[in-house]
Amino acid sequence: MNQYPIMMMVLMLASAALIPIVNVKFKQHLHAFIMIVMSALVLLGIFNVKHVIAFGESYINFGGYRASIGIEFYISQLSSLFVLFVIVLSWIIILYSLKDMDHHIANSKLKSYYTLVFLMLFALIGLSFTFDMFNMYVFMEILSLTSAAIISIKDKRENILASFRYLLLNTIGSLSILFGIALLYMVSGHLNMGELYRSMSTLIELYPMNLLLAIGFMFMGLAIKSAMFPMHVWLPDAHSTAPSPSSALLSGIVVKVYIFTVIKLMVYVFGVDVIRTLQIDVAISILAVVGMIMGSIFAIGQKDIKRMLAYSSVAQIGYMFLGLSLLTSAGIAAVMFHIITHGIIKSALFLSAGSIIYKTDIRDLRQFNGMGYTMPLTMAVFSVAALGLIGIPGINGFMSKVYLSLAIVDGGQPLLLGAILVSSYLNAVYYLPIIINSFLRNDPVSQPNMIAEKLPNVMIASMLVLLLAMIVTGFYPQLFMRSIESAVAFLGL
Amino acid sequence: MNDLIVKVITKMLFPFIMVYGFYVMLHGHLSPGGGFSGGAIIGGGFVLFTLVFGLAKAEALLPHRYLKYVESGGLLFYMGIGLFGLFTTGYFLSNQSAGFYMGEAFTLFSSGMILYITFAIGLKVASTMITLFRYIIDEEYDHD
Amino acid sequence: MIESILEHINYIGAMALFIIGLYTVLTHNNLLKRVIGINIMETAVFLFFVSIGYVEGARAPIVLENGETLFVNPIPSALILTGIVVAVSITAYSLSLIVKLYQHHQTLDMSEIMAAQSEDRS
Repeated sequence: MNQYPIMMMVLMLASAALIPIVNVKFKQHLHAFIMIVMSALVLLGIFNVKHVIAFGESYINFGGYRASIGIEFYISQLSSLFVLFVIVLSWIIILYSLKDMDHHIANSKLKSYYTLVFLMLFALIGLSFTFDMFNMYVFMEILSLTSAAIISIKDKRENILASFRYLLLNTIGSLSILFGIALLYMVSGHLNMGELYRSMSTLIELYPMNLLLAIGFMFMGLAIKSAMFPMHVWLPDAHSTAPSPSSALLSGIVVKVYIFTVIKLMVYVFGVDVIRTLQIDVAISILAVVGMIMGSIFAIGQKDIKRMLAYSSVAQIGYMFLGLSLLTSAGIAAVMFHIITHGIIKSALFLSAGSIIYKTDIRDLRQFNGMGYTMPLTMAVFSVAALGLIGIPGINGFMSKVYLSLAIVDGGQPLLLGAILVSSYLNAVYYLPIIINSFLRNDPVSQPNMIAEKLPNVMIASMLVLLLAMIVTGFYPQLFMRSIESAVAFLGL
Repeated sequence: MNDLIVKVITKMLFPFIMVYGFYVMLHGHLSPGGGFSGGAIIGGGFVLFTLVFGLAKAEALLPHRYLKYVESGGLLFYMGIGLFGLFTTGYFLSNQSAGFYMGEAFTLFSSGMILYITFAIGLKVASTMITLFRYIIDEEYDHD
Repeated sequence: MIESILEHINYIGAMALFIIGLYTVLTHNNLLKRVIGINIMETAVFLFFVSIGYVEGARAPIVLENGETLFVNPIPSALILTGIVVAVSITAYSLSLIVKLYQHHQTLDMSEIMAAQSEDRS
């Protein structure tokens, strides 16, 4: 039987419990412990994917109780791939944070920071695998508390206010989701997703109003938590004031897992027929298009680099919701590919912005003239990532736009291609000036030539790994796309 | 606090609050209560003690360096019981099939592992409430 | 009319509390009132969830030795116990954030704090 998911979650929870009590004298011992635990987690993730591909999808019942009375985990190919992506990306970001966090918080708080990150990973893995509605709610609450705490661990004024607003809005979202779960439990008596799917056909005939209310509440809650357009107001403050590794973790991973939960709910609980009958996909596509355009428009006027990257996240999340509203196999495969691509690109952007702040303390975009000559490696990573978001061929952002456009044409709504085109133009408007200013506007007297900058080794290594991933996936997207498409075929759309 | 009546009454009531908290915690599988409520009562008792006698005396009664072992220990104990179930049968957190002592119904030592798990949860909730309260009332509370 | 209101009083009460809580969070400027609004919303959702499990003429779901068999559904109560612990944790965390905010700004008013921070930024 597949025991790897349980071993992953027990490893994370046990390490989170052990970090506060082990008495480490040197910081290097703490760093070694963290990296050993993360590497073990990556190995377990790879073994899990291999087991699922070899032996097929399976269920894990806790305590041996059958599905209708106990809690169940569903280890599908799609969730195993998603969990592997989460684990590998957080390995890279945690490697970067070993040196960068000294710049943001005091030494006595480092243990608390890594405890919070490990608890957050525990909640992420659990939320991806779970097959029970109330268990999903519990993991969402753990995730919202720990992700609010890694913003406010840096003790400045704007961090604390951003964390407070983040927590308040996320709690409203969680309560909406709980209300939707209560409405579903009221008419069906099941909390297990498989049992709900089997009773969904009788539910539509007997209680259509209840079902509509439940879907409405749950989607509103998930839209608040994953920053779909009008409910995105917490995102710019939270992601721009947090320390750079926290911004990368939040923007690259935490927001994506809620989109994965929307996919799970639509496919496993309600079924695509119910969603199409109630015309929820039309509503999601309209809000997604508005979000794609308005997110970029807000990003154009920003002067702080991390705030601009946060608004750009809002626009990219609009892309993902657009692909999701098509409700076809090609659409969901394109969304999964864009989740992986955007995770890599946004982490590269935030980590390179963090390196610039670490070395020179410059956050204002108007002072970026000639930055490419004082920090060439960092600006190279930033430029490649920004060009990927605009859609230049050779970088994985281009391939994700191609897959999304093919899925849109396949799904029968070619007018939406215009929205992707307009949004790509708007992306170019605010990313290209940074690249031009940093490489082509230097002062030739004081900065005659490019010298590689002196940053700690782990920071340079993690940025170069992300750069390599972007370029390799840009030329050979089949590396990811083949496994994604075979995993999506299991959904049976 | 400088009031004599409050100090004397708190000293008299404190052991009874502890006994009641442990009673609610241990009888979680027989009557309403269980880990969360029992832990909250014990934590509330310590919060009362801290409010009346001040932080220094409360810190001398239950210092933080023992409390942090209770917190992490509760969590690790819960996972240990789960892993014990995983190794004997194939399922995490199994109760009767993993060989825990079931006993007869309506007595204290019955229903297998539920007694041990509620005890661990109760201790963890109590220690968390005490630590949180100490951090809130004194901002320079640095334990080690 | 009155009978149908009395019969569904738990749904009406839960919806009214939810809307009162949401109104408080969205419109008041004081930070403490927003946290209180969140607590009212949580109470509304828990009330709704627990009242679903009621069965007419049944007793509390504790098995005693006199062998009665009609019990109220115990699953909502067990789920809401977890929910209450989550609500307490969120309240504790947001209250400690408010303490720190008050130390920095000496006011509890959201509009004054945001005005001070936007002029901080520009």
